[in-house]
Amino acid sequence: MNVAVEMDAVRHGELLDVSEAGPAPKRNVAAFGFWIFLLSDIVMFSALFASYAVLAKATAGSLTGAQLFDQRNAAMETALLLLSSYSCGLMSLAINSRQHLGTFLGAVVTFLLGAAFLALELREFQVMIALGAVPQRSAFLSAFFTLVGCHGLHVAIGLGWLVLMMIQLALRGFEDVVVRRLHCFSLFWHALDIIWVLIFTIVYLMGVLP
Amino acid sequence: MTLLGKLDWSAVPFDQPIIMGTVGVMVVTIVSILSWVMLKGYAPYLWREWITSVDHKRIGVMYILLALVMLLRGFADGIMMRTQQAVAAGGAQGYLPPEHFDQIFSAHGTIMIFFVAMPLVIGLMNFAVPLQLGVRDVAFPTMNSISFWLTASGVLLTNVSLAVGEFAKTGWFAYPPLSELQFSPGVGVDYYLWSLQISGIGTLLSGVNFVTTILKMRAPGMSYMRMPVFCWTALASNLLIVAAFPVLTALFAMLLLDRYLGFHFFTVDAGGNAMMYVNLFWVWGHPEVYILVLPAFGIFSEVTATFSGKPLFGYRSMVLATMAICVLSYTVWLHHFFTMGASASVNAFFGITSMIIGVPTGVKVFNWLFTMYGGRVRFTVPVLWTIGFMVSFVFGGLTGVLLALPPVDWQVHNTVFLVAHFHHVIIPGVLFGCMAGYNYWFPKAFGFRLDERWGKAAFWCWFIGFHLAFMPLYVTGLMGMPRRLQHYDVLSWQPWLLVAEAGALVILAGIACQVVQIVVSIRHREQLRDTTGDPWNGRTLEWATVSPPPAWNFAVLPRVDGLDAFWTKKQRVLAKQELPAWRRAYQPIDVPRNSPVGVVTAFFAVVTGFALIWHIWWIAGIGVLGAAVTLLAFMFRTKDEVEIPADEVGLFDRRRPVEVSL
Amino acid sequence: MTTETHWDVAPGDRPAVPASERSASCGLLVYTIGLFLAAVLTATSFWVANTSAIWAPGVPAGLAVLAIAQMGVHLVFFLHITTGPDSTNNVLALAFGVLIAFLVLAGSLVIMANLNENLMAHGEMPGAPAAYTGRH
Repeated sequence: MNVAVEMDAVRHGELLDVSEAGPAPKRNVAAFGFWIFLLSDIVMFSALFASYAVLAKATAGSLTGAQLFDQRNAAMETALLLLSSYSCGLMSLAINSRQHLGTFLGAVVTFLLGAAFLALELREFQVMIALGAVPQRSAFLSAFFTLVGCHGLHVAIGLGWLVLMMIQLALRGFEDVVVRRLHCFSLFWHALDIIWVLIFTIVYLMGVLP
Repeated sequence: MTLLGKLDWSAVPFDQPIIMGTVGVMVVTIVSILSWVMLKGYAPYLWREWITSVDHKRIGVMYILLALVMLLRGFADGIMMRTQQAVAAGGAQGYLPPEHFDQIFSAHGTIMIFFVAMPLVIGLMNFAVPLQLGVRDVAFPTMNSISFWLTASGVLLTNVSLAVGEFAKTGWFAYPPLSELQFSPGVGVDYYLWSLQISGIGTLLSGVNFVTTILKMRAPGMSYMRMPVFCWTALASNLLIVAAFPVLTALFAMLLLDRYLGFHFFTVDAGGNAMMYVNLFWVWGHPEVYILVLPAFGIFSEVTATFSGKPLFGYRSMVLATMAICVLSYTVWLHHFFTMGASASVNAFFGITSMIIGVPTGVKVFNWLFTMYGGRVRFTVPVLWTIGFMVSFVFGGLTGVLLALPPVDWQVHNTVFLVAHFHHVIIPGVLFGCMAGYNYWFPKAFGFRLDERWGKAAFWCWFIGFHLAFMPLYVTGLMGMPRRLQHYDVLSWQPWLLVAEAGALVILAGIACQVVQIVVSIRHREQLRDTTGDPWNGRTLEWATVSPPPAWNFAVLPRVDGLDAFWTKKQRVLAKQELPAWRRAYQPIDVPRNSPVGVVTAFFAVVTGFALIWHIWWIAGIGVLGAAVTLLAFMFRTKDEVEIPADEVGLFDRRRPVEVSL
Repeated sequence: MTTETHWDVAPGDRPAVPASERSASCGLLVYTIGLFLAAVLTATSFWVANTSAIWAPGVPAGLAVLAIAQMGVHLVFFLHITTGPDSTNNVLALAFGVLIAFLVLAGSLVIMANLNENLMAHGEMPGAPAAYTGRH
């Protein structure tokens, strides 16, 4: 961006306060904008959480959380997502040092761990559906599938985004815009893990308490 | 499964003359305009300069144009309701059967809130905020275009419902269980839900855009406390958009899941809880009204200061009041359903917060009054709208404080007293504010002022008409008249409703005056020409540019030293009697490249929405795929900016004060 | 132009120390510590939910505290949110988001509990069809 300033008004040698420094660099603008979008996503999840919390006991005579949830599975999913957050962090370090190989490796590991998470989740849904615990059976199940499913959908979109970013990285290298987008991806990925912390705590752990 | 889902010829209401007549008029109008554009050869220009534009000024103008057109549709719905209620007393049934009347009041609310008020406010913020901040554009220009076109998609889908199918009959909040599949099996609620989901995405992206712009992109030297008040109110409004719209998105998604996949969030069986919808709807709904009114307050601040020739009184308290309203608006939402089952303690809490929130607004009113006091007030059209607002809104707000008391609300909830209250705050608040802003910034956008006489006529018609139309409703509301009545048996209400009908006709005259105002202004644009870029002797930076400003707004970003940056600069230049130094050195400027991403994504959104409404799954799939491919194409584009050479910048700048045509 | 300017740090970027001065291992250490802490907190959560060693009514509160702690770990170690002056915008935005999420969640829970209590006919189990009185 061209930021030319009135020549007669520049105060030389003075450190401007950040609020007076003029338009911020693109990286800051893009990352902050994405940060605000993530906050809006968190508000959306809070509405879904609220619905889940309200409807958690509305099982309509059908199966309850305590009967359906497999804690071991939830623990494995948590471990997978947490590790994928870690590998994403390593990928960020590689991007900062502009290392192609490190970035691709970090991306591949993140992708595989994320995909494994999704596979476990889909299998869990499959088991539940086979037991007759479909979302159409009760309000609790509707809320459960929507909340956890929405998170899973975000993970799936994230995986797709990661693949596209690797393609773009291969085609264009560490261009500014590519680096900015990768940075936004890592913000997204870490935020998804934060939401998962809330899900496994509120849905799976609190859900099986007597 | 048939190829076209639920869609067949029976979807078109051939047997309803009123609807077919309206559709006929709309189709003829649209076809005529499109033909005229094509025949005159304007299509390439429109595509290049407006439809694919990512310039905030162009996008702002398009938002406002969209809103004003939808104002005609929303007002038509309103006057149809008034007419029906004026005649349908006792034995008379009026001319609108209940199924039609229900769609009209639902469409009226939906259109006025989502497709008139929101686009007006967002359009004015789009146009003015970057100029006032002294920067070249918003943070994400292409996303800005996507936001606008997604809003237009929502508009299109809602209007298509008139010709193909039906609209929701549930009222504009669409409470379940009525809005569930069991009680609304038709496509009406689906039109409502998909129109608003699609335009809601656009609005959310707008919120992200403006919060980022205001917090991260301001001219050098413009610290937070040197921003114009309109930018502060825009910040608060957009923070609320980011905070509230996701709740609506989640809520509509849940209702859609109930309707499409048989989920049980809000159904009457299997454990659903309809009150959860009511709760979450108003969690969004209350911040929404502040999203609308805060920028209007900002406009009033700008107009008052400019036309009083004085700085705004109490800048710091204005900022504090604005941010207080922003946060407090998230603590009052239960007052929309005091009567729906909460116990006295919960009601009392929200009643108290609802009264507290009136205080910062009171602070603002006093600040505006003190700004005018001691100033030399010029009674231009924007000032008339402002004074009209101040006189009316205070009373409307007072009825709000009344309603904040649960015992009072229990008497008048869901009567036309409530209808009178919210029109009493929205029309003087939001609509008058947007009319003031429209008249105020029109010369900046188009290079010539609006005709003053027709503007004043429009104001007086609106002011008188509004009071005639809504004050009787307080009376009939206290007499017990419920809202949304297609027909009534209490004959003593009828005289009041006849007065209300007269008021609606006077408002119609006001709207006619506004249409005439535009026509006359365009015809006389040479006499009304804004040659200096500063027709009102303004105080803020947007008046430092040519009218209309070039794509890059400022040849050189201004260096800001204090509040009312342009005013102080003007005084200094007048004192020193010489050209500012910056006009002698220009640099090339990168401007964002125009992009069809917005309009193409929106096209696929309409296709997807329509297909989902009619259960044509394969077309919906194509629509989603198309939108995905469009975004992919955008993601992989290589050139996102165009460089304007320094000579062109200098050439344009040196042509000041002569105007440059669009 | 000799005027120096400094800007806020982008969310997710590590503040203050310029990249050239920071060693690569320093970044690795931060992420690894974060991973370790998060793993410990997760394991503890699972233990708390399943053990009988803790007073039962306190378990949900304990889980909530552990969840908040773990979110904090993610924010600090993975997202590098600090309280430094160049991170103010990011922290304020986060605080605003958290406030809203809290109001939505807590507000809805309190209100819905209150409504459910008042609107459900006595003798009905929660989860049975709620009588929609729609008193309006």
